[in-house]
Amino acid sequence: MDFRWDVVWNALPQMVDGAQLTAQITLLGIGGGLIIGTLCGLVTAFRVPILHWLVFAYVSVIRGTPIVVQAMFIYFALPLALDITLSGFAAASLCLAMNAGAYITEIVRGAVQSIDKGLQDAGLALGMSYPQVLLSIVGPLAFRRTIPPLGNQFIISLKDSALFLVIGVAELAQKGEQLTAQTGRALEIWTAVAVFYLIMTFTLAMIMRLIERRMRIL
Amino acid sequence: MSPLITCRKLHKRFGAIEVLRDINLEVHTGEVVVIVGPSGSGKSTLLRCLNVLEPISGGELEVGGKRLGDRRTRKRDIRRETGMVFQQFNLFPHMTARENVMLGPRKVRRQSRREAAALADRLLDRVGLADRSHHYPSELSGGQQQRVAIARALAVNPRVMLFDEPTSALDPELRGEVLQVMQGLAAEGMTMLIVTHEMRFAADVASRLIFMDEGRILHDGDPKVLFESPPSDRFRDFLRHVQT
Repeated sequence: MDFRWDVVWNALPQMVDGAQLTAQITLLGIGGGLIIGTLCGLVTAFRVPILHWLVFAYVSVIRGTPIVVQAMFIYFALPLALDITLSGFAAASLCLAMNAGAYITEIVRGAVQSIDKGLQDAGLALGMSYPQVLLSIVGPLAFRRTIPPLGNQFIISLKDSALFLVIGVAELAQKGEQLTAQTGRALEIWTAVAVFYLIMTFTLAMIMRLIERRMRIL
Repeated sequence: MSPLITCRKLHKRFGAIEVLRDINLEVHTGEVVVIVGPSGSGKSTLLRCLNVLEPISGGELEVGGKRLGDRRTRKRDIRRETGMVFQQFNLFPHMTARENVMLGPRKVRRQSRREAAALADRLLDRVGLADRSHHYPSELSGGQQQRVAIARALAVNPRVMLFDEPTSALDPELRGEVLQVMQGLAAEGMTMLIVTHEMRFAADVASRLIFMDEGRILHDGDPKVLFESPPSDRFRDFLRHVQT
């Protein structure tokens, strides 16, 4: 079987559209996930009364169910229950943010708890207040430790966005399916889709590597 | 003159385990008190209670005229009267030596960056590390790290310095430089409480020796007298163990 470059060439505009949507959903997803994960991670790290049980439940539900099921639930079940309508794009971004948020919660909790207690003692012994110790010592150190696992999570989220084809969002993977149906050229289309994903994940990985190098990871 | 540190009937419990029992202690300005005893005897816990890093379970504590439990006294107020040096140094790894020393003055004494930097340079010079001020802790030897830690503790201008086994984590050849700095402080009249296993140092520098065992102060007196004629079998045994 020969590889028809013209199929790839003709499909490019649509794929770029799909890739753009994938990028938008991913950015909203990891942005939202960072906010959710940071707040929830701090809640569990400092065992905030009552709230940390809620966070525990949230993380358990997300980690305990497949992300496809979460996407289906948010797109089809949630609007019925709450009597609202959600666009596919909104449902996808929300789903990815909720999903990434749960994993980032664990990343943040782990980072905060990994900071040597002795450093906290050293700050307190100087006469600093607890909030001062958190802001000048524990926070900056924990932040550095989240960078490598966060990079990992960002890449996972980007790739997870492919499954939103099940709720009909016209992101990259869904475009791939559509174009295959139109052209009947699975080899060319899926190769091109894979290369698109590779370029995006590789770019993300390089950005994280750069941040890592800019900061002294301790 | 009233004592700088006063403990009355101080107790400390970790769950069901009594770590400190009925500690009565007065330390006056200028004293260099060395605390020795077998591991698990409560020496480190006692130091950590004195600056309230460990909450006490009972009794009274007064440091620099600030009484724990008074409505106006915060834990922080007591900690500001004391400087602490830890066995594991506990330098802030994301800050240079100079920034480590500056943090206390900046956050606690509300000094400007310039004032704090000048103070840090002065203190680093005093511990012999003027040329290392821009190094990160990971770039310093253990002995150098501990000397930075001493400068950091001094920077908030404490009235008493607490040393928790400051040389125990160091290779033998690096201990001297730390002990030398401590000896210098003692000579300048700094009030110090030192938990250590360095008996030579205790004999040379201490103005007072405390022997702790099973959470109690067993002996408290002149180091020369205690070392020359140990008043109990427990202390004699202990000395035999550390000297071999």
